Amino acid sequence: MTELLQFLIAGLKNGAIYSLVALGFTMVYAATGAINFAQGQFFMLGGMLGAAFVGAGLPLPLAALAAVLATALIGAVFELVAVRPIGDGDPLRIIMVTIGGSVLFSQLALHVFGPDTRSLTTFTAGPSLKVLGAAVERQTIWIWCLTALAVAGLALLYRRTMFGRAMRATSLHRDAARLVGINARAMVTASFALAAALGAVAGLAVAPLTQTSFQVGSGVAVKGFAAAILGGLGDPAAAVAGGLVLGILESLTAGYIDPTYKDGVALIILLLVLFVRHQGLFGGSGREKV
Amino acid sequence: MGRTLRALAVLVAAVLVACVPLVVTSPFYLQIYTFAGLNALVVVGLALLFGYAGQISLGHAAFVGIGAYTCAYCTVTLHLPWLVAIVAAGALSGAGGLILALPSLRLKGHYLAMATLGFGQLMSLVFVEAVGVTGGVNGRGGIPFPSLGPVVLRSAASLFWLVWAFVAVAVIVAYNLTSARPGRAMRAVHGSELGAQASGVDIVSVKVRTFVLSALLAGLSGALYAGVVGFVSPSSFTLTTSIGFVAMTVLGGSGSLTGPLAAAVLLTFVQYLDSLIPGLPQAAASKLQTYQQDIYGLAIVLVVVLAPRGLAGAWRRRRKGVGTA
Repeated sequence: MTELLQFLIAGLKNGAIYSLVALGFTMVYAATGAINFAQGQFFMLGGMLGAAFVGAGLPLPLAALAAVLATALIGAVFELVAVRPIGDGDPLRIIMVTIGGSVLFSQLALHVFGPDTRSLTTFTAGPSLKVLGAAVERQTIWIWCLTALAVAGLALLYRRTMFGRAMRATSLHRDAARLVGINARAMVTASFALAAALGAVAGLAVAPLTQTSFQVGSGVAVKGFAAAILGGLGDPAAAVAGGLVLGILESLTAGYIDPTYKDGVALIILLLVLFVRHQGLFGGSGREKV
Repeated sequence: MGRTLRALAVLVAAVLVACVPLVVTSPFYLQIYTFAGLNALVVVGLALLFGYAGQISLGHAAFVGIGAYTCAYCTVTLHLPWLVAIVAAGALSGAGGLILALPSLRLKGHYLAMATLGFGQLMSLVFVEAVGVTGGVNGRGGIPFPSLGPVVLRSAASLFWLVWAFVAVAVIVAYNLTSARPGRAMRAVHGSELGAQASGVDIVSVKVRTFVLSALLAGLSGALYAGVVGFVSPSSFTLTTSIGFVAMTVLGGSGSLTGPLAAAVLLTFVQYLDSLIPGLPQAAASKLQTYQQDIYGLAIVLVVVLAPRGLAGAWRRRRKGVGTA
């Protein structure tokens, strides 16, 4: 029982991280209809920039904030420079640009920060907490809180603010949104910035536990994408659920079957969902519009 | 360009390529040109898929790997003749392509890109973990040279000719596909799926067949690679390799075969730039190595943003400009 609880805690910890990355995929997909392959690199940049800022002498909270803002800025600039010139074009071209961008971000981090792995100190020091006999690391609690905060903030943004309503309107119907005076292009830029910020938060939160390096991005991207598609692309709540389910499945596989297969779980889920139920577990309508 | 002129140009190009081993005698340089041919073989298939069916694959390194390991297993463990091994390699990777393409191409949109990404990553894991067949991280060595009956192709020149002969056949097959009915169907699918469907094109079957052909060519390239190098390991078949193929295809341009072929050769040279420039100091050479991926990433971004038709498009535009002047 304690063992199962321990596995569930580990699963929900990783799952929260996947949720944040999946949310980033969902936001860009809603705004552009394309998959942003560079999403994993925002995760990488969050952790690496955070470590660099701490190394430069900033206190941790300030370094973390600076890393999130800097990554959001990088996301916005990437959209302006590489995605916007494509216009309302083919999602295939946007996908390609983000593939190239993903390679460039990772290489940029290699050239700037070097090939070594980096780490952050845990946000609060101290021994693990005991819950019903299972250990919960303090950093895990931080991960959960930050994820909950990000999800709640996003929900508020989407439902309560004019800006959020404009974003939702754009993702529903870009031309109609334009007709009522919404700057649809700016909404796409905003979605990249927000997605980048979410990725950065995830990268920062998990860096003290797993370390980070210039090449962690694409692995996380595949996991986050699997989570997004497991939930059903385009729905933020489903993305979060998909991330948590994926984390738990991975952790149970590693615990009860074999740790070797842990990384395969996300890939098999990704393929199975695409083949069997491409609208995801929580996606409703099913068939694509023609 | 008229039909005969075009045929003449192709013939001249083929003769020029065939003459390379007569001019270049260093086995080391010849091997680089052979590698260019191996990449070109994969890229011909991807060019069909991208340029004529409007789909991309992020997992073709996996098919190359399937071909390479099949060849290694058949020759080293099962002691089968090389010809049998390469047929098995092509068949197995083609079958893999079919299994992947059937479900994901029924859906509209870009699910194939995602499915191939997942498949590629999954196969990377399999190559490392299925130690019994693949030899795990250490890979498999001792793969014999390609042989046709009693003739063993062991010289660098003969391997060069073998690989480029495969490229030539692939190009001829691809050219005949694209200029005949299947090619028109593929182009129609890329232009407008709905329109193509309305004109009686079975779009799913066109896309599936294109994908299977591209997977088969990748498998053949892998099998040839195993014979040329004599050693295969999982590090040759990663996402990075797949993205390299995508870069070659995109740089080459859609709706063309010559463009992607040229891009495949060009970007292969970039990979070995450090050893192709004579007298390059060691420090500069290793610097070039670290910037290799940048060139791939930059090529993709710049071409997609600034020149979506790639090298082939730039060439066509130039010719048009000259014509109207």
